[in-house]
Amino acid sequence: MDIVGLMRTLSSATGISGYECALAESVRQAFQPFADEFSVDTLGNLIALKRATRPVAGVRRSIMLAGHMDEIGMIVKEVKDGYLRATDVGGIDFRTLLGQEVVVHGVRDLPGVIGARPPHVLAATDYEKPVPWDQFFIDIGLPADQVSELVHVGDLVSLRREFIELAEGHVSGKAFDDRAGVASLAVCLEQLSSLQHSWDVYAIATTQEETGLKGATTAAYGINPDIGIAVDVGFGAQSGVAEHESIRMNAGPAIAIGPNVHPKMQARLMAVGDLNEVPYQKEVIPGASGTDGWAIQVARAGIPTAVLSIPLRYMHTTVETLNVKDIERAGRLMALFISGLDEAFAADLGL
Amino acid sequence: MKALIKELVEAFGPSGYEEQVAELIRAKAQAVADDIRTDNLGNLIVLKKGTGGGKRVMISAHMDEIGLIVSYIDKKGFARFNPVGGLPISTMTGARVRFANGTVGVIYNEKDGWAGPGSLADCYIDTGATCPEDSPVQIGDVACINRPMEELGPRLTSKAMDDRIGCAVALQALLELPASPNDVYFVFSVQEEVGCRGAMVAAFGIEPDVAVAVDVTSWGDTPQAKPMAIELGKGPAIKVKDGGMLAHSGVKRWMVASAEAAGVPYQLEVLIGGTTDAYTIQTARAGVPTGCLSVPTRYVHSPSEVVDYNDVLNATRLMVQMLANPISW
Repeated sequence: MDIVGLMRTLSSATGISGYECALAESVRQAFQPFADEFSVDTLGNLIALKRATRPVAGVRRSIMLAGHMDEIGMIVKEVKDGYLRATDVGGIDFRTLLGQEVVVHGVRDLPGVIGARPPHVLAATDYEKPVPWDQFFIDIGLPADQVSELVHVGDLVSLRREFIELAEGHVSGKAFDDRAGVASLAVCLEQLSSLQHSWDVYAIATTQEETGLKGATTAAYGINPDIGIAVDVGFGAQSGVAEHESIRMNAGPAIAIGPNVHPKMQARLMAVGDLNEVPYQKEVIPGASGTDGWAIQVARAGIPTAVLSIPLRYMHTTVETLNVKDIERAGRLMALFISGLDEAFAADLGL
Repeated sequence: MKALIKELVEAFGPSGYEEQVAELIRAKAQAVADDIRTDNLGNLIVLKKGTGGGKRVMISAHMDEIGLIVSYIDKKGFARFNPVGGLPISTMTGARVRFANGTVGVIYNEKDGWAGPGSLADCYIDTGATCPEDSPVQIGDVACINRPMEELGPRLTSKAMDDRIGCAVALQALLELPASPNDVYFVFSVQEEVGCRGAMVAAFGIEPDVAVAVDVTSWGDTPQAKPMAIELGKGPAIKVKDGGMLAHSGVKRWMVASAEAAGVPYQLEVLIGGTTDAYTIQTARAGVPTGCLSVPTRYVHSPSEVVDYNDVLNATRLMVQMLANPISW
């Protein structure tokens, strides 16, 4: 699979939380060759089903894989004097916004910029303070009367950023959180097409993760899988983040350890990684993982869940950076794990 | 509709203790309802059956209001208390409260009678008692703010506009609703102020095809208001986003189309903080397309919340339009 090409496609598409509909089509195309069936649920989750390829005797079992397709963005809260004021959808670091290019999704898509006061007119103390939310404005270059016609309160604003390739498998762009997870599901499905598996696989590009794990909450209820894995991004080692708070870049996905993860799911993933020489690392998450896994785990009467993290630098900026080899490894690890799922493991989990 | 609003906003019903409000609504809904029941958490669920072929719709307006609960009575009979929901400390000094049994108390703080209390721990309720033995209230008793409704020109002010004004809109829409294809479940929910907990279980039980919460929203048209494109008197607001949820884009389109069809003025709402019953309805079971109809309200959570009467009438007209016709987006 051309993971760089897939990431370029996914990163370039727009899909702010709650408005993932158009993006879901790109994801569907990526999953299409490897899935048997597609559906979209009430909250917009794209659900790809790949049926068991080994004969099923007795209980039909399933695993749910979740990578969220939504990205953080902004929403217009006021149109005044030809400028737009916006607030965030999901957790934008507003210190990174000055000077950004945006697309305003008004009556039609309009290019815009987030302006800043010239440094020449700033007081010395201004340099030390971030610009507060309510002083940000977006300029789309049109006269005020046309702006009011084309843009309304509640319209979305997405950040614009060209995808680039850095050296040695590293790529950089926007919305890698969590299109990287979505890409790893595509890799997993592709790998599974040359492996046999006894359980049905639901690969789900979930919605509204950034605004409260909503898509995963309803998808897990609707599908009612036996087990689940959430793939999201984790803090890759970078300047300014302590070693104990980060995972290593290009060292494989991190398998989470903590209360969000079923110990036997975690142990089995590690065993599969060891046996097949898929590099992985361990990440201790002592409480809420902040991923879809947190919602999946408590759906209905509870679902044994694991969480994988793809190392990523500069999270929630438009220059998120990762190594595509880690996406490939996460996908392969899940595929090998799924291929080995059997009734003995189900019994071990108490299913 | 003013008499109905007055009766609703002046009724007693802090979170978890909404029975008096429920009784009031039940009595008025009885004549037009096809079914009325109360669920395990106390939600009052009024069904208006459709003629068939329509959607199963849930409307949710919360009956509960913010209030307080007595935690300790000292040896001179003064009651200490904790908040029930988001009780603003700045409005406490000199406030009057009322308990379920009609007992009235006065709140004061002695930390700083001029500037206001630093925290609720500085406040106490004076019920006239002189010792615990003659206190008319006990530990665990719940009170609401005591404040009658008044008219301010075209506007109305009272405690508990949040969200009895939503209850009034939903109830009035129920009374006015002509025959429609839709089965409409009007839920008068409990415990919104402590985490939208009534609507959560009501939505699970009802399993609606689509849902709309009716609640108050914030404002941006007073001298030093935070920038917000919502004004009183400009019509009800159709929510796009708040602190807890993103409205379903299809539901939003249906609401906008309904407002335009009925000729009702409306405003689009992006609220920075706070949320409504829509927050928990949206993720019930496998998910519910959910939106929210808001009544612009000044001074939310203070004892003197202010709404525009025309906005209330227009919110009601919009809801009737939404429910009376086949629903699509």
